[in-house]
Amino acid sequence: MSTFPLRIGTPDGLLFEGDVERVVCRSVGGDLAILARHCNFCTALGMGEASVVMEDGTRRTAACIGGMLSVMNGTCRLLATTWEWKEDIDAERAQAAKKRAEEMIAKGGLTDQEYKMASAKLQRALVRLSVKE
Amino acid sequence: MAGNMKAVKLRIKSVQSTMQITKAMELVASSKLRKAKERAETCRPYFTELHETLKDIARENIDFSSVYARESSNPRCCYVVIVGDRGLAGGYNANLFKCLESAAEGKDYMVLPVGKKAVEYFRQRGIECLTDRFAEIAGVSVADCFEIANLLCEEFRKGTFGHIELCYTVFTSMLSQQPEVFSILPMTDIREESGGKVDTKNLILYEPNAEVVFDAIVPEYLAGLVYGGVCESTASELAARRMAMDAATSNAEEMIDKLNLYYNRARQASITQEITEIVAGAEGL
Repeated sequence: MSTFPLRIGTPDGLLFEGDVERVVCRSVGGDLAILARHCNFCTALGMGEASVVMEDGTRRTAACIGGMLSVMNGTCRLLATTWEWKEDIDAERAQAAKKRAEEMIAKGGLTDQEYKMASAKLQRALVRLSVKE
Repeated sequence: MAGNMKAVKLRIKSVQSTMQITKAMELVASSKLRKAKERAETCRPYFTELHETLKDIARENIDFSSVYARESSNPRCCYVVIVGDRGLAGGYNANLFKCLESAAEGKDYMVLPVGKKAVEYFRQRGIECLTDRFAEIAGVSVADCFEIANLLCEEFRKGTFGHIELCYTVFTSMLSQQPEVFSILPMTDIREESGGKVDTKNLILYEPNAEVVFDAIVPEYLAGLVYGGVCESTASELAARRMAMDAATSNAEEMIDKLNLYYNRARQASITQEITEIVAGAEGL
């Protein structure tokens, strides 16, 4: 299958650079996959599992949270707020974060802002755990 | 003569203690610099990719349904100014302010200062600040950058200002740091800056539509750029301080050498005088 260049960047550095066959991730409008020779495209990313099929057919999954995906003249750039490869996810930490967020929400009495933050934290933890499993 | 000698001795001592301080500051700056440089280097690819992507989009975008993409009718500009918390870093802070002033000349503008020196500077000049919550650059994290970005977006949508520019210091190397100002919003400004006319008809597909996409990615993009600017500026500040302190230390060394020479000459002269006096006294006996 034909491949296309992909670059994955986060504020913690450029995590991946190379040719891939396919990249699948969750955008604000639902899951989507990018293949080679895609037209110019731009979307915002949601929270969810993402996977990249490498040149040799191996598949790597990751937790991808927020950011943008753009395809410009054949080059795909995926700039995420966080991108963690499956093997890099710290399950214990995610578990702890999930518990903390759940407790916060269960306790109640939060302001709108706090509630938003807590539920975002919970969602992030859930995404990480679901990818890890 | 003896009084003169004492004054010189005192002066040597004071220069020596100053030198100790500058040397210590240099060491502190260089050890902090290593970490800051690493941070700037890991962040840089994201920063440049983000900027490049948005430049590409701006160049080829013809969908102006989003506020962030349209040309703004409000001429007011908001500068996000990133400088250091402390002085004694050579021309680091002053250079950036000079650069800002030449860029903002004749414009109606307000600022969002990051770094104590910026807050002080704009307060003194009576320039309106959006907020001074982020006065301490040392404590600015990714989360703070998101907060800054959200604040900027909110004010931008409200129409408090129609343009946003970022003003920071690029960390080119240990020896050279360059202040820079560039436009980050709206898209039409970015296009003008990259000098691109729409020559290709390379349309971009936005999913689900341009407005939703821009609303979602612009805060993220702003946060990324501000964070990148903070990382670069922190590294630049430390590098500038290290250089300034290195120069100060070597100047102090030079001064001590000169003063020592002067002191020895004075000592020699006083001894010679004493001998002359004794000889003259002995002859008189």
